[in-house]
Amino acid sequence: MATNAQLILTSGDIAGDPVNVDTGQITLTKAGTLNDLDQSTGLSRVHLRSTTNKVLLAANAEGDNLAAKVYVINKSTDSALYVTVTINAQTIGKLYGGDFMFIPWSQTDTSASIEVAATNWTSSTGDIPVEYALFHEDTDFLTNA
Amino acid sequence: MATTNAQIILGSDITDSVLGVDNTTQLNTAGTTTGVNTMTSVTKVLSSTNQVDLIATGSVSTTHAYVYINNPSTDETKYFIITIGNEGAGSPTDTEEIGRLYAGDFMFFPWDVDDDICITPSTSDDMTVEYMVFS
Repeated sequence: MATNAQLILTSGDIAGDPVNVDTGQITLTKAGTLNDLDQSTGLSRVHLRSTTNKVLLAANAEGDNLAAKVYVINKSTDSALYVTVTINAQTIGKLYGGDFMFIPWSQTDTSASIEVAATNWTSSTGDIPVEYALFHEDTDFLTNA
Repeated sequence: MATTNAQIILGSDITDSVLGVDNTTQLNTAGTTTGVNTMTSVTKVLSSTNQVDLIATGSVSTTHAYVYINNPSTDETKYFIITIGNEGAGSPTDTEEIGRLYAGDFMFFPWDVDDDICITPSTSDDMTVEYMVFS
């Protein structure tokens, strides 16, 4: 079992010379080892219509010091509609329509849940579809089941 | 206006049905379809386990940016702790740990430029970190 991730950043005109960063396929491994991550939520989808924070992934204190990777994408086609992503009330950033993030996730304690809010949602904007996946190692994630 | 694209490709056979994700997005200024036009690309070598500012809010003039951080180490035991907040402002700090970048790992995320992004190497051996900021 393996999970691979690859990021490619390209631009022909943000600098005088072309930018082309390709991480290649990396294999996601358990903390400090070469062993593959072996647990996943699979790809999930929710439709946000809350302007206040909702828990997307609940932190599990058993996950502290273990490896976990999180992928989140705002699938809205409206470039103005954004999802605010926070961890423990600390705002990380805003995912505008089409934007994604891929981060390691330390579950330092149960306050470290990943929360999202459709901050500028209104009844006229329509829901914001968000897809996400978690890849992790050996903790009990039944609270997310 | 520049055109900068980010593509993420994920593949996993952990589950019975294989997961495959392939998405590309253009990096735009906040809430627009106008491309970001500023880029910073840095490689640093850190030689202490002290937490330090990696990317300060003062280095970006907007309130929306995209950050890429990479740990190019090949030693699987060496990692960086990536945090967000104001290093040294609290006791010991008021930073929130996002996650740990192990050897070969990368992260890519939008940044609201409200607080600095800090980094703590796992060892005092020379450790190289690479990052880019698009805004």
